[in-house]
Amino acid sequence: MSLKDLLSPFFVWQRAFEKPYTTLRPTLDRPGAPAYRGFHINITETCVGCGSCQTICQNNAIDMVAVEAYAGRAGDSGLRPRFDYGRCCWCGLCVDICTAASLRMSNEYAWISDDPDSFHFTAGVDDKPWQDNELGYRRAEGYHLNPPKRIEMPMLSAQESLKSFAEVTLGYNEEQAKKEADRCVECGICVATCPAHMDVPDYIHSIRDGDYEKGLQLMYRTNPFPATCGRICTRRCESVCPVGILGEPVAIRWLKRFIVDQVDKKDYQRILEKPIASTGFKVAIIGAGPGGLSAAYYLRQQGHAVTVYEAQATGGGMLRYGVPSYRLPDAELDKDIDHITSIGVEIKYNSRIGKDVMFESLLENYDAVFMSTGLSVPSSMRINGENHARVLSGLQILADVASDRDPGIGKKVAVIGGGNVAMDAARVSRRLGAEVTILYRRRISDMPADEEEIHECQQEGCTIVPQAIPVEIIDADNKQKVCIKWGEAKMVDDPKGGRARPVLQEDKMHTETYDCIISAIGQSSNLDYLSKELQEQLAFEWGKLTPAEYQHTSMKKVFVGGDFANRTADAISAIEDGHHAARGINRFLNPDFYTALEKQEN
Amino acid sequence: MNTVDEILDYAIEQEQLAADFYEDVAQRVETAGMKKILLDFAEEEKRHKKILLAVKTGEHELTPEQEILDLKISDYLVEVKTSENISYQDALIIAMQRERAAYNLYNDMAQKVPDGKLKHILLGLAKEEAKHKLFFEAEYDERVLTDN
Amino acid sequence: MTQLTGHSSALDFAQPEPVDMASGKYVKLWQGPQHPGITGNMSLELTLDGDTIIDCKTHVGYLHRGFEKLMERRSFIQNFTVVCRIAVPEPTFNEYLYSHAVEQLSGIKIPERAIWLRTMNLELMRLASFLMWIGGMSGAFGQYTVPNWTTAYRDFVLDLFEEMTGARIYHMYIVPGGVRAGLPDGFEKRARDIMDGAEKLLDQVERVMFNNAVFKARSKGLGIITPDMIDPYGIVGPNARACGVERDIRKDEPYLAYDQLNFETITGKDSDAYERAYLRLQETRQCISLIRQCLDKAPKDGPFQADMPNVLHWKIPAGETYVKAECTRGEYGYYMVTDGSEFVRRVHVRGPSYTHAIAVMERLAVGNNIADIAGLMVSLHTYPPEIER
Ligand SMILES: Cc1cc2nc3c(=O)[nH]c(=O)nc-3n(C[C@H](O)[C@H](O)[C@H](O)COP(=O)(O)OP(=O)(O)OC[C@H]3O[C@@H](n4cnc5c(N)ncnc54)[C@H](O)[C@@H]3O)c2cc1C
Ligand code: SF4
Repeated sequence: MSLKDLLSPFFVWQRAFEKPYTTLRPTLDRPGAPAYRGFHINITETCVGCGSCQTICQNNAIDMVAVEAYAGRAGDSGLRPRFDYGRCCWCGLCVDICTAASLRMSNEYAWISDDPDSFHFTAGVDDKPWQDNELGYRRAEGYHLNPPKRIEMPMLSAQESLKSFAEVTLGYNEEQAKKEADRCVECGICVATCPAHMDVPDYIHSIRDGDYEKGLQLMYRTNPFPATCGRICTRRCESVCPVGILGEPVAIRWLKRFIVDQVDKKDYQRILEKPIASTGFKVAIIGAGPGGLSAAYYLRQQGHAVTVYEAQATGGGMLRYGVPSYRLPDAELDKDIDHITSIGVEIKYNSRIGKDVMFESLLENYDAVFMSTGLSVPSSMRINGENHARVLSGLQILADVASDRDPGIGKKVAVIGGGNVAMDAARVSRRLGAEVTILYRRRISDMPADEEEIHECQQEGCTIVPQAIPVEIIDADNKQKVCIKWGEAKMVDDPKGGRARPVLQEDKMHTETYDCIISAIGQSSNLDYLSKELQEQLAFEWGKLTPAEYQHTSMKKVFVGGDFANRTADAISAIEDGHHAARGINRFLNPDFYTALEKQEN
Repeated sequence: MNTVDEILDYAIEQEQLAADFYEDVAQRVETAGMKKILLDFAEEEKRHKKILLAVKTGEHELTPEQEILDLKISDYLVEVKTSENISYQDALIIAMQRERAAYNLYNDMAQKVPDGKLKHILLGLAKEEAKHKLFFEAEYDERVLTDN
Repeated sequence: MTQLTGHSSALDFAQPEPVDMASGKYVKLWQGPQHPGITGNMSLELTLDGDTIIDCKTHVGYLHRGFEKLMERRSFIQNFTVVCRIAVPEPTFNEYLYSHAVEQLSGIKIPERAIWLRTMNLELMRLASFLMWIGGMSGAFGQYTVPNWTTAYRDFVLDLFEEMTGARIYHMYIVPGGVRAGLPDGFEKRARDIMDGAEKLLDQVERVMFNNAVFKARSKGLGIITPDMIDPYGIVGPNARACGVERDIRKDEPYLAYDQLNFETITGKDSDAYERAYLRLQETRQCISLIRQCLDKAPKDGPFQADMPNVLHWKIPAGETYVKAECTRGEYGYYMVTDGSEFVRRVHVRGPSYTHAIAVMERLAVGNNIADIAGLMVSLHTYPPEIER
């Protein structure tokens, strides 16, 4: 033992004069680090209540609870996370998975309360002192627990797709579909948003499980047009998918299509439910569009005898005569329709109500009537010269092409309008070899057409001229041609906050000659099969009517649905109308229906 | 028509005539929905009339300086004749075109009088009609030109 | 050193003669489960002949939380919040090994930046852990000043963790796929300042603790581990290195960024309590150097996470793997079996404390007296929670 060993311990005194490490709480505050995982903050306005936080929390510290302020908000479950600090371990996984990045943590770490219940709180709803804390844990930029990008849909190149009417999208393969299906967080907000309330999370789950027959069964519960909707649905579900808040929404439509593509038509009968025993009731349906056929399918499932009257030679309505086959091949539409007829739905083609068969006779001979006759009359522009023979309607061209007739558009066409019909007319014209200019009175971002459609339209070489207002159609030198005069528009903000309005600039007019002008600015209904009295009785307004709760009307026995009875005018809404009308008719066939309704009203 | 009051009386009468016109057409249209719309239009005209009455008593000021947006929709549409089965689109076109005509009338008159109170009133009335036109054109833009 | 009754050496594994308790010559004493060795809730059943220990049995079970089982019912992402709790003073090694095993089985390759941030995180952890250990070691020999210094200084390292990871103890920073975030602004400067301070502190610790006559007298010759014990007992880490066995996974089978760091394996001669302690002090200094190197070399930007599937339904193909890393106490390993489902089929956590606190401790205790038991135990650096998992 050396002297040094005896003396060195006394060096501890050296430190007696150094600044102590400790912080004098509570006199001096010591805030948490800027990214400290402290107490939860939820920006409830941004949150959509998807519940991913609840799913990921391994401590079951989160319950999703109804918060009145958000009840019924579109694209929102109306629920918000409630935290139980008796369980939480402050891992912050809930913050990491949050689809809206609304959930975060403050850097506050001390909270003293003698009320145990205050440790069980709905963040952002129950007032907490750290609510407005700027600092604290946030998910780092570039950190993801779910891939933000969707799997791209394989497609034909623009050049390739112009060569024919072959389907442009090629469909996912199994690996791609499974990967995309994986991105679903199973919140079910899509279910609430889908007009038909399709069971999206479950059929997506069936893809992850590789059980496509189950997926098909799930889809048929709410939609007898899955092959169709898997291709052309307006997919409002995707617009609310929370995965799309920070990234791209799950490709719900393509996944639906994938399931249908996996199942052979000949197996449908085996896989899907069969109708129940006959009830003896007879229902007539006018129109074999998606609305009519959806009603037919579900009524037939309920054991009723169903006869569909259709003016055209084939079924599908606008899906057949409107939607071009490069988006929806006939075979796919037939896959849906064939299953509907295979369960015993009878379709009488070439039978126009009001001409071949009278509406009144249906009322007499059937227990109920459902009509879904759609919108078939093109709207007119109401400008001078519109009646020129070279001004064609978009609907007519599409119908011609669908029926293998040559619409005779020529080599240089102008399409007026910015909706889906305009895009379809333009792309069809490109496939017929024409050079296409689309004139639209507002900005491209204002177009009601689907964004993807607009993009593909441009890819295929259509020129979109936005802010172009047609003012007059003028004869050309040549009878086979026509001139259009249009003026440039300036967008002016609506002081009341509505969408900006185009204002014609009269000093910036252009005149151009085309082989034809295709007008596609909207369509309305053809109600010729109903007498004026009946129209009045059914309370049609501008060719449309709003049905009551069960798709029923003011006339006993008469139910309506589809484009002329809803505001959204798309296939899935028509399908839901049909399904819902089937439920209504089913109830109506029970004699107490109207009595019950009356009671309810009083 | 040389005095301010005379001009205002004329304008008030015009609004009343317009209201009568819509009520008259409303009696003849076939559908209940259309009838309601036309009666709404008539109400709108009566509201205009009230404003002018207030101008006359001095409770309300006309504002000829105010900039009113002109969407120029009606300027290029084919004229519509009233009939029993007009559509909503037709009704709007009729309304827009009537307001446009009134606007043009006051504006033309204003060009012909010397600067002063009278001119001020005429220009104010023109602006008032421009506002009405905007009301109907905005409705047309929103409800009819949907896909367009 | 007295050997276990009837045993000739530490390598004699024959069944010992039972102690004749009825003779009244012996006393049983339980040290723990709450005892002042800060090695946690574990107890030693000591059989005494006077003050001398003639038999020692390690008892665990006071801390069993069933982590391995818990993991079988939690998703792959959820588990990363569980594993850190297996070794309280060193959660990060569990985070790393768990994540690494998952990445191996699911074929995920983490980006360069994550590799460096992980390495730095692990070395910071080693530093924090050693600082606390030094306190424990010193305290076990009745010296309470050094523990105040080092455990308090450890808090500065925890400050760094708080900044880097959002938490002081259970960082939950290393996650399957990478790490959760890059470094916050100004972190590097603060980290370097704290490293400088730590270096100074360690000099002072060396002076007052390792030159202390009492500490020396009591720790030298206490609990000698001889080289021939290493393999039969499965001794790893500083306990093994202190008797001259060069064994360090960071060097032998480099993982993360260790092959790009400049350091040498530190060894000693006779692994007694003093030698082991001194070796750890040197390794603590080495940590500081490694952390500085990481600060120099870690990429400042770029991704810190690999592309991940949706973790809410993450399935991992069937397979098995064993991954290991050098923690403060030696080889730490995770054996993981997956079966293609959303859950892990089996995880086995192999911490060095199992051998060190059971087989080794039971042998080394014999022949010592009660007062040295705490010091001996700390000199083996064991963590009961990782024995029980
Ligand atoms: C060009 C175009 C593209 C479209 N693209 C899409 C799209 O991408 N996605 C989407 O979701 N929707 C799209 N739609 C809308 C969709 O096609 C319709 O919403 C849907 O078809 C409406 O269904 P429905 O049953 O109401 O009417 P329709 O489909 O119009 O069917 C009505 C049926 O009734 C028949 N009918 C009418 N009158 C009589 C009568 N008196 N007697 C007997 N039968 C009669 C018609 O012949 C027709 O078959 C598009 C529409 C068009 C025109
Ligand atoms: S921080 Fe972790 S434990 Fe706490 S609520 Fe969020 S996910 Fe659950």
